[in-house]
Amino acid sequence: MALGADRYASRADTLAFIACVLLSVAAMSLPERIRDPLARGLRQTVLAPFLALQQRTELLSASLLRYEAVVAQRDSAALAATFLPELRGENARLRGLLGLGQRLSSGYIPAEVLHEPEPSGNLTFIISAGKKQGVKPLTAVVSPEGLVGIVSSVDAQTGVVVTWAHPDFRASAMAADGSVYGIVAPHGTDGPRVWLLELQGVAYRQLVPNGTVILTSGLGGVLPRGIPIGTVVGVAGEAEGWERTYLVRPAVHPAAVTHVMILTGPPSRGDLRSVFESGGGGAGGGGGETP
Amino acid sequence: MRRTDKYRFYVILGVLVVLQFSLRGRLGDDRVAPDFLLLALLIYTIRARPGPSAAAGFLVGLVRDALTPASFGAGALAHTLVGYLSSWSKAVFFAENLFVNGCLFFAGTWFRNLAVALASGKLKGGLLGWELLVWSPLQSLTTAVAGVLVLWLFGRHLAIRLSDVT
Repeated sequence: MALGADRYASRADTLAFIACVLLSVAAMSLPERIRDPLARGLRQTVLAPFLALQQRTELLSASLLRYEAVVAQRDSAALAATFLPELRGENARLRGLLGLGQRLSSGYIPAEVLHEPEPSGNLTFIISAGKKQGVKPLTAVVSPEGLVGIVSSVDAQTGVVVTWAHPDFRASAMAADGSVYGIVAPHGTDGPRVWLLELQGVAYRQLVPNGTVILTSGLGGVLPRGIPIGTVVGVAGEAEGWERTYLVRPAVHPAAVTHVMILTGPPSRGDLRSVFESGGGGAGGGGGETP
Repeated sequence: MRRTDKYRFYVILGVLVVLQFSLRGRLGDDRVAPDFLLLALLIYTIRARPGPSAAAGFLVGLVRDALTPASFGAGALAHTLVGYLSSWSKAVFFAENLFVNGCLFFAGTWFRNLAVALASGKLKGGLLGWELLVWSPLQSLTTAVAGVLVLWLFGRHLAIRLSDVT
């Protein structure tokens, strides 16, 4: 349909326009008691299907947004679930630590390990106990599974622990039955056996079978006697027919430790073997076969 | 105008009304999103005489006023004015041209907002300036773009003859 000059406003058009304007002005001047019911009536009749459509559209839009939120929550839950075994493991370690504390009954200081995400983080680490808590240098640091290391220096609130993996670590050790004595040291800093220990200085004629549990001997007066160090897993080498060196799998791995106990009692307090025998090793800290 | 064209014309207007209550809420800021209801009115006025256009504007405005009772009647007055003036001016001045129709949509939207703002008396000072100089032009632009798209896509079914000069 083409438009043309024949569609100028006629008198009827003008009258319709004036009527609509007057009605509009009348609507504007309506009192609230008439205006509101009128508006409500329009909303409930003419506009009802359109408002329902708008409501459904908004609902759909909100549902899409909620769906994204639900998906995000589900992903968060799935992520949290991946940490569940780790939490269970930590719970078990803490329970083990509590059991060890009860068995020790006194002479220890609990501390948290403040790991640093660095390559050398397993050689030394910081603990959350220092001079104020009574920590002194050259005291043994243990977990329920066994020996972790030794305190090397102490600040007011923190301490530095040298773990058994540190190249300078040495400990006087013995077989669980006391038949063999030697010095335990880290096996090395590279290669596939980097996280193993060595039992050095064992007389050639003294054979140590695999699976033998190695404990601290208490000789030297630094470490108490009877703390599990690890388990013999093989022979590392022989020296000209007069001594053997054995590989020892550690009782506890430093990276797996989150809480430790610093033994503050005198080294001569006695044999701690019974303390670790009755509860240690079950926490699975280093995968060792502690008694 | 054939019977089928008339049918299609009202279907397209109906689709615009549906878009107003479904799609518009998802097109961004409410002050900027195209006004499909007003667009349907303006497209109607392109074909209708001024009297029915004014009546249609009054009805559309009244329905909108039901959604904003605070300024009841202002929308009816504004849409009545827009409907009548659009239809009248289209007959008197404007050629059938896509660009001209786009300008009509732009001007109609802006004038509607001006009339509502003044008639309702709710906007004053800086707020009125912002509305008329920033938000209204933006909404007019989006409405004009939507209208041009509708005419370009469905102009044949709307029985609106467009010249080659677009």
